[in-house]
Amino acid sequence: MEQGTHWSIVNVRLSRVVPLIIASATIGFSSPALAVGTAAGTTISNTATASYTDPGGNPVSVPSNNVDIVVDELLDVTVATADAGDIVVTPGSTNQVLSFNVTNTGNGSEAFRLTPTSTVGGDQFDPTTTSIVLDTNGNGVYDAGVDTVYTPGANDPVLAPDASIRVFVLSSIPAATNDNDRGIVELTAAATTGTGAPGTTFSGQGQGGGNAVVGATGADGTDRGRYIVQNATIAFTKTASVVDPFGGTTSVPGSIITYTLIASISGSGTLTNAAIGDPIPVGTTYQIGSITLEGSALTDATDGDTGSFASNTISVGLGSVTGGQTRTVTFRARIN
Amino acid sequence: MMIRLFLAVALLLAPGAAFATDSVALSSMVFVEKTIANADGKAKITLHEPKVVTPGDRLIFILNYQNRGLAAANNFVVTNPLPSAVAYQGTADASAEVSIDGGKIWGILAALKVADGPSRWRSARPEDVTHVRWTMKQSIPAGAQGKLSFRGIVR
Repeated sequence: MEQGTHWSIVNVRLSRVVPLIIASATIGFSSPALAVGTAAGTTISNTATASYTDPGGNPVSVPSNNVDIVVDELLDVTVATADAGDIVVTPGSTNQVLSFNVTNTGNGSEAFRLTPTSTVGGDQFDPTTTSIVLDTNGNGVYDAGVDTVYTPGANDPVLAPDASIRVFVLSSIPAATNDNDRGIVELTAAATTGTGAPGTTFSGQGQGGGNAVVGATGADGTDRGRYIVQNATIAFTKTASVVDPFGGTTSVPGSIITYTLIASISGSGTLTNAAIGDPIPVGTTYQIGSITLEGSALTDATDGDTGSFASNTISVGLGSVTGGQTRTVTFRARIN
Repeated sequence: MMIRLFLAVALLLAPGAAFATDSVALSSMVFVEKTIANADGKAKITLHEPKVVTPGDRLIFILNYQNRGLAAANNFVVTNPLPSAVAYQGTADASAEVSIDGGKIWGILAALKVADGPSRWRSARPEDVTHVRWTMKQSIPAGAQGKLSFRGIVR
């Protein structure tokens, strides 16, 4: 409570209060742990008792009047992203999953309307939200075809006080996105009874027949999930060096050409199943067993290693390569 | 044997006798405290007698007592069990004692301990309080009145 506040008494039947000085201005309110609060519809009933002994020494006990106050329904909700970080996507990908937790922080059972928004600032592209899915089997993971697709107004999730539900937002990523582009989707959950400024009252609409009162959250909550595009591209450079039969570097029949292919992978993503293939130039003959990858020899057969020679073409599988790395392949051919 | 029987009869009659001299009135009132921002930006606190409240609302409990009889009331004690949905928030009356175990053990809050796991204890917190009571050191003379108050917050 701030210093310098002053008191006023309204709606008090003054005739019942004899010396109305509230002698408790020095008491501060501590902050008790309010997990979710007393259930809506609960009656708070207060009765005090005075006991004393009368002049005859007899114990006497006198109850006070009883004061009953009903606890209204407080409408509160929070939305929080459940993703540890940005969700990595590639351009043109579909059904990319963002995860959110929607929690009823009010004190009554309440249904919540879910709305995604992808046109928010501070990002490089707008993901296209294709569906919202409720984690109906409660395992925290999106299960296509198992979890229930959400339809606003048809299956707004109803949450008990303190209960939460995992919600998945599925989006398509535009093809025209670049490496490290970020796209944001906001998910909003709003109490179906109503939202508004804290204290807004919906008469008679609370659980248990009382009022529903908008709580500190405004009865709606929003959080953001983020996609980040990670893409990788590959570029090749090819060089040749010649050794002639006489120890020189002239290109004559019998000279051996060593071709060096350098694959440069750039971007923040990973290139999967990358491969290099190069036909042997016309007028030359491939030199058996001459393929190397990163300086290590590979066999010509299609076998356990990633190199092979077939149909007059060498090919080398590079596997998964992350951006920023290079792979060097060499092979030799003899000029006919 | 006859004396014991006489005592038993006297004890049976006692409640009736107490009712006849029931001359103290005790009234309970509950106010809710709301903070409203004034036009000048300063907070203004208002008190209402509510019909309904919401969790987090701050309540002030006021007990007025009056001895309407012709004789003094001795050993005067006022006890208010906390409604379970209300967390105790203290009282300005230094004479007040609280209980955190349903009224078995009484003391000032700072002196009470709560079991916190096996063989561990922590200091009691306001929200642990189950009862508050005031024990008057002096008799309440005929015609005298007074007021007690404490604060609570809707859990």
